[in-house]
Amino acid sequence: MTVTTEPRTATLALGVSGWGVLSPYGLGADEFTAGLRAGRDGTVEAAKLTDDPVPDPRAYALAGFRARDHLGRKGTSFLDRRTAFAMLACGQALADSDLVVGDDNRDRIGVVLGTGVGSLQSTSDYSRDTLVQEKPYLVNPILFPNTVLNCAAGQAAIRHGLRGVNATLAGGPMATLAALRYAMTVLGRGRADALLVGAMEEYTPHMAWADHRAGDAPTTVGGEGGAVFLVEDAAAMRAAGRDPVVEIIAVDLGHTGGRTDLATALADRVRRVLDQTGVAPEELATVVTTGAAAEHDALDAAVGPDASRVAITDLVGNCPTAAGALQVAAVLAHHRGEPEHDDCLSLIVASTADGSVGAALLKGNARAARDHR
Amino acid sequence: MPLAITGSAMRTSLGDTAETYQALLAGESGRQPLRYVAPEGVNVRHGYHVDAAGPERPYRASAWLAECVAAAAREAGLDCARQRVVAVVGTGLRELRAVERWRADGQPVDPDALHFGAAVRGALPGIEDVVTVSNACAASSHALALAADLIELDEADAVLACGADAMAESMLAMIGRVGDESSDAVRPFDADRKGVLLGDGAVAVVVQRAPDSGAAVELRGVGMSCDAYHETAPDPDGLRAAMTDAYQRAGLHPADVGLVLAHGTGTALNDPTEAGVLAGLFADAHPGPLVTGIKGAIGHTSGSAGLMSLLVAVETLRHGQVPPVVGLRTPIPEAAPLNLVVGEPAGTDARVAQINAFGFGGVNAVCLVEVRRER
Repeated sequence: MTVTTEPRTATLALGVSGWGVLSPYGLGADEFTAGLRAGRDGTVEAAKLTDDPVPDPRAYALAGFRARDHLGRKGTSFLDRRTAFAMLACGQALADSDLVVGDDNRDRIGVVLGTGVGSLQSTSDYSRDTLVQEKPYLVNPILFPNTVLNCAAGQAAIRHGLRGVNATLAGGPMATLAALRYAMTVLGRGRADALLVGAMEEYTPHMAWADHRAGDAPTTVGGEGGAVFLVEDAAAMRAAGRDPVVEIIAVDLGHTGGRTDLATALADRVRRVLDQTGVAPEELATVVTTGAAAEHDALDAAVGPDASRVAITDLVGNCPTAAGALQVAAVLAHHRGEPEHDDCLSLIVASTADGSVGAALLKGNARAARDHR
Repeated sequence: MPLAITGSAMRTSLGDTAETYQALLAGESGRQPLRYVAPEGVNVRHGYHVDAAGPERPYRASAWLAECVAAAAREAGLDCARQRVVAVVGTGLRELRAVERWRADGQPVDPDALHFGAAVRGALPGIEDVVTVSNACAASSHALALAADLIELDEADAVLACGADAMAESMLAMIGRVGDESSDAVRPFDADRKGVLLGDGAVAVVVQRAPDSGAAVELRGVGMSCDAYHETAPDPDGLRAAMTDAYQRAGLHPADVGLVLAHGTGTALNDPTEAGVLAGLFADAHPGPLVTGIKGAIGHTSGSAGLMSLLVAVETLRHGQVPPVVGLRTPIPEAAPLNLVVGEPAGTDARVAQINAFGFGGVNAVCLVEVRRER
């Protein structure tokens, strides 16, 4: 969907009340925050993840991850990696939040996940089985749900008993910004009260080779992981005496219709986000990019040199679909337990090789991990 | 924010909006022997066709839609140079028929023509965006809900909510397998109903912010639910959820409604379920609204059905004559508490109508519309 977004008359800010993250630094916000601050190298040997040949010997991956270690044995043996990631990260976000899910509100809490192609491993394996299994194509029907794009969002909602809006947005590297933008609309139109929003990606030899051959990714070292944020209407949260960890105060994205001059198109989006919120470029403390060269050109033009820049690919490798969620997580980590970062303004930017550009503006609030965690 | 319906057009087996309404009042039906698909192969012998005199033209749904979009935009006086105009097209199967003909007859297919972007852009040059959504038999009512959202969020100045579907062999084959015997006609809420038959057509409705002076036709609210209860069976709770949502958004109560355009498909499960839910909804309203439906006259037009019902509701409120349910002779017991219009048109001075549209998988949408009376 490429609806051009115009400045809105009634702007709803998303308040993040909890978050979960899976990264090479570990499972959870505290582990991610610690790894990020230490600047630790998150790569592992790719051979630990796959027996297939891969173009790069290392990967930013969750080596040794097994769904049943975190989600139990019951009902988890046929889950694919991406779905297990989503179920776990959604659980972490709920545990990190002060929002309690019960029969009085589960119809009003939903799940909105971004994706590229769903689980590429699952669809590839299933397609392969149709060719190599005995005729008449004795594929395993239990594995079929894994091949569907919205498997992760559906399974996460079932596990956590969430019966509100359930949506999967296919947008590749733009998927998280699209999901956040969608969440603003859904909450603003009263179609849900709270949403788990995020994106995840699994490491697969297929993507590793595809990115290697295409040669246009900022790094060819593959990655995996993802993040999920529990978002609500920030004003409603404050009215109820609850403080968001971070507010996402503007999201703007669109499609240029081509592959040319991404930098100019992105610079335009950044200016629009700043205009919508009345923020001056020099007020920005941090900008988190996906690492694409065009984004740096855009930031030179629209923001200038003052804000510190972080390329998410330097921290988590090349995992385009999860990148946006990990960018937001990086901002949240910056604020986690750091009162001196109160009210810091951060910008997220993203771009895709086929011509989409987007930006989001985040405003922080320090808050230590809650006691109930 | 009050929303106005400022233009509209439709194409059914009975003609345009005015022709369809007049034919409904006369109790006529657009049913004819099934065209373009061999009846014995799909166990379906009749259809409610549009434009089926000659050989089957490709991309028929797109052509009807383009005609409706142009007419609705003209009536609303839309100007894409000055206004941000967007279209949301709801459909069951897009142009799936073109793929079937490619597979069966080797007729070339253009992937870009399978959704309705090019058709709508051709009819309304300068339109900012065209989005096709596939939401089963509630699709065009879902498109109307999205249109309301886009206007209320100030993302657009005018939105065309549309529906379009042409019969596809795969859909015909499916409905032909639901019952043992082939349905002879759609008989909504009838004790002898034998199932649904399909109808062709397209519809377009322009939604804009209402002027301060008020609107002749006001879109009061669209409620949605997606209950995922069952692949095909309706869930009474899911239907009620969509109705509750619609009344909440509209700030109305069931007692305010004088007319219901029911989904009424003539299937074993929809009709008693819908009748039961409506009976409960209006249990405290006396005498309760008149209830009618259009599928006995124009078939189940799939993605278009919801907005076609809406335009018939608007015509009915304007003219004060409620068409009877074509095909209905003996109502089912579950419909006993309802004021179904049978046989002859019934007069009404109602101003507000409820319009139901329910789809497979539990995709439901309910619209509430109000017409200012000038008679």
